[in-house]
Amino acid sequence: MSIVNLHPRTKIVILAVVGCLVVLLDGPISLAVCFLASTCLVARSRASWHQIRLLILVVLLGTWGLVYSQAIFYSEFPRTPIFTLINQDFPVIGEVTGGIRFYREGLLYGAVQSLRFNTTLAIGCFIVWTTPPRDLLVALVQLGVPYSLAFMVTTALRYIPLIGSEAVTVVRLQRLRGFRFLRLNPIRTFSGILNSLRPILMNNVRRATQLGEAVESRGFSPEVAAGNRTSLRALKMGRCDGSLMLLLLACLLSVFCLKTLYFLYANGLYYASWLRGAYTFTREML
Amino acid sequence: MSQNIAIESLSFTYAGRSEPTLRKINARVNSGDFVLLLGPTGCGKSTLLRSINGLIPHTSGGLISGRVRINEANVAEQPLSATSKQVGFLFQNPEDQLFSVVVEDEVAFGLENLAMPPDEVNRRIDAALTQVGLSGFRGRMIASLSSGQKQRIALASLLTMQPQILLLDEPTSYLDSKGASNLLELVRQLNETAGTTVIIAGHQVDEVAPLCNRVWLMHSGEIVSDLPKDRAFQRLDQFRQLGIAAPALAQIAEENGLADRPLTLEDALYCFRRDTGGMQPPFITKVENRTAADEMRNGPCSNIPDEYPTGRGSNFNGNPLIDVQNLTFRYHRASPVVLMRISFQVGRGETIAIMGENGCGKTTLLMLMIGLLTPSEGRVILDGRDAVRYKPQQLAGLAGLAFQNPDLLLQAATVSDEVAFGPKNLKLTSQNLVDRLENTLQMFNLKNLRSQTPYALSQGQRQRTAVAAVFSLHPQLLLLDEPTTGQDRYHLQKLMSVLNDAMAKRNRTVIFSTHDAHLTLKYANRVLLLDRGELIFDGSPETAFADPDCVERASLMPPLGMQLGYALNSGKAA
Repeated sequence: MSIVNLHPRTKIVILAVVGCLVVLLDGPISLAVCFLASTCLVARSRASWHQIRLLILVVLLGTWGLVYSQAIFYSEFPRTPIFTLINQDFPVIGEVTGGIRFYREGLLYGAVQSLRFNTTLAIGCFIVWTTPPRDLLVALVQLGVPYSLAFMVTTALRYIPLIGSEAVTVVRLQRLRGFRFLRLNPIRTFSGILNSLRPILMNNVRRATQLGEAVESRGFSPEVAAGNRTSLRALKMGRCDGSLMLLLLACLLSVFCLKTLYFLYANGLYYASWLRGAYTFTREML
Repeated sequence: MSQNIAIESLSFTYAGRSEPTLRKINARVNSGDFVLLLGPTGCGKSTLLRSINGLIPHTSGGLISGRVRINEANVAEQPLSATSKQVGFLFQNPEDQLFSVVVEDEVAFGLENLAMPPDEVNRRIDAALTQVGLSGFRGRMIASLSSGQKQRIALASLLTMQPQILLLDEPTSYLDSKGASNLLELVRQLNETAGTTVIIAGHQVDEVAPLCNRVWLMHSGEIVSDLPKDRAFQRLDQFRQLGIAAPALAQIAEENGLADRPLTLEDALYCFRRDTGGMQPPFITKVENRTAADEMRNGPCSNIPDEYPTGRGSNFNGNPLIDVQNLTFRYHRASPVVLMRISFQVGRGETIAIMGENGCGKTTLLMLMIGLLTPSEGRVILDGRDAVRYKPQQLAGLAGLAFQNPDLLLQAATVSDEVAFGPKNLKLTSQNLVDRLENTLQMFNLKNLRSQTPYALSQGQRQRTAVAAVFSLHPQLLLLDEPTTGQDRYHLQKLMSVLNDAMAKRNRTVIFSTHDAHLTLKYANRVLLLDRGELIFDGSPETAFADPDCVERASLMPPLGMQLGYALNSGKAA
């Protein structure tokens, strides 16, 4: 069975488990393994080149933003400057800030944060790209999410591309009227961006109102959603789904136990000599 | 017949408004009736329909008095889910009422809400899809369907719930002629065979009038006339007074002194032949010889002053404004071709209509003309330069584009700021800016709305503001994408007349895409017809509408007056 065809509930569990794992883990190697695994999922998702390109762009921008900001603004000690951007005797800025430097520890911390962010992002994309919204809706309801909420989430997902294309149109129409978004005056740039948001927002308010009316005209209400509603679409879990979920949960549990033991050891609360191997593995890898 | 809708002293004022949208409406609809609801834009048609199916007051804030009863039950007092079993509501825009990805899910949605057993849901889905002529579409993706098919899917999703009453709010506005006539035929069948009560609001009176048995005329929140069809069209003065389009054939019959008011071509032919005793009197010659522009000028909105002469000539002078050379376009390398090897030139001062069925590439062609999309093959030369080489902001003053949905363009806090936005970006001197703003507001009749928020205006006013905002840049080329959507003929003609007049005075070019034959015949001196991405005709609108092959391939519907002229001339229906 291809991983693409997993039950949507399994895919959501993968996201939840990996989401917990990347919070528990703080070793660059283990996080890099998680990220690589998530990119493998994306590679199997049969996404279009356009989608992949978009993901790569977001990953690169996110990584750059996190690494750069953390490397500059890292405030913990010890910290090792790699190079200096602005010397402390530089007029005004240098005197006020005491100099701006690029710290190695900040760079590493930023890299770790970006691996966490990018891993969950990639798995989220894998789920959205490989699961029809109707199946996602069924899976969310099976996981106990209220129907109204699940319906809102999946409908919103369906409208994301449309909102994206509307945003492009709004920007184009403004530029056709001679507006330049990037200006020397940041206030005008900012107000231009705000003005662009207005038509997008208003359109979506109108659409949401119309959609709400269409939905209610067909007998939908919170009471109906909470009650005994028929679902034409039935999804069944396979053996692979169960095995994978067990494996993932076991993995999460193991990491949690190892991290807890290491925490007890590192804080002098509990030590067992036969666990030395586990302590070393946790420190070096996790 | 048993009565199944009773509207009793119904008034409704939206929250935040001082004036009521509905004023003391009283009306009765019997089971199996087919009511045509006519009125100018903003008169309260949609609000009335929403009150009948209970969306008002259940989902809209506001002040309501009076009541709507369906089979004696007050819709305001019963839950919407109960009313939805009796009343189906088809909205104007198919895109805004379909929320599923797959046809099956969309059609099943209502039945799932009613907690029907899955077997029954399956049976009803198949039956409804067969009824709307889409029986093989159950597993299809909704995004892959045409607008007409989407609207039929929306109708199927209502039919599964087997409503006794069907309310349709301008259901053909977004459809081409073929899609519209298919949908209306379906509604007719439902009314005749299943006895479904139908109330349809819209501006397409020629198509719907033959199907209905009652006509309601609405104005400023009131039903000012409620008559059976045979009496409703006897005197058309009221239509003219209210600025509502009357059926074209009835209008022609009245002008020519005929006793009856025919609504179909067959009836009109019969009336003309009967009343002329087989002779061809002068008035028939007049009908034969009237040009399409005459047909419109003397047609339903003849009270509109017509200052603009139609048939503006082109002015190439060896230097066309646009030169489209062997243009082919596809959105992605692997996606199907949208436009195929298209070539034509556009001169200064021309007014050109682009027509063709939904999805034939009209909007894409407009965007390619000003370089917003890059051709896959071929090129577009705009004012002597490859269109893709222009940055969008360099086009300000050269080309302007207004889309079907004005809300994508409106971004300022007031109408005045909206109109001034473009000229400000052109860095006009303050005196020039003021002059241009005042002239544009005056020209588009927006002076009294200048301090209002654009989003608070009616659809027609928003459309006018959007076009004024583009026009204020005084572009050499103005592109309008489906300017007719949601507009009644009176307001549309006012907008187009003002615009066309202003552009003609400056020898500027207007290109608009549309499904509206009247609009093309009245304002365009040239029409481009597209069929599945191919340019199949480039010439005068009169020639296009007279060619049966063009009419069929581009899903055109010649105006009935024109069809009558041809039929009387040839002795048979066109």
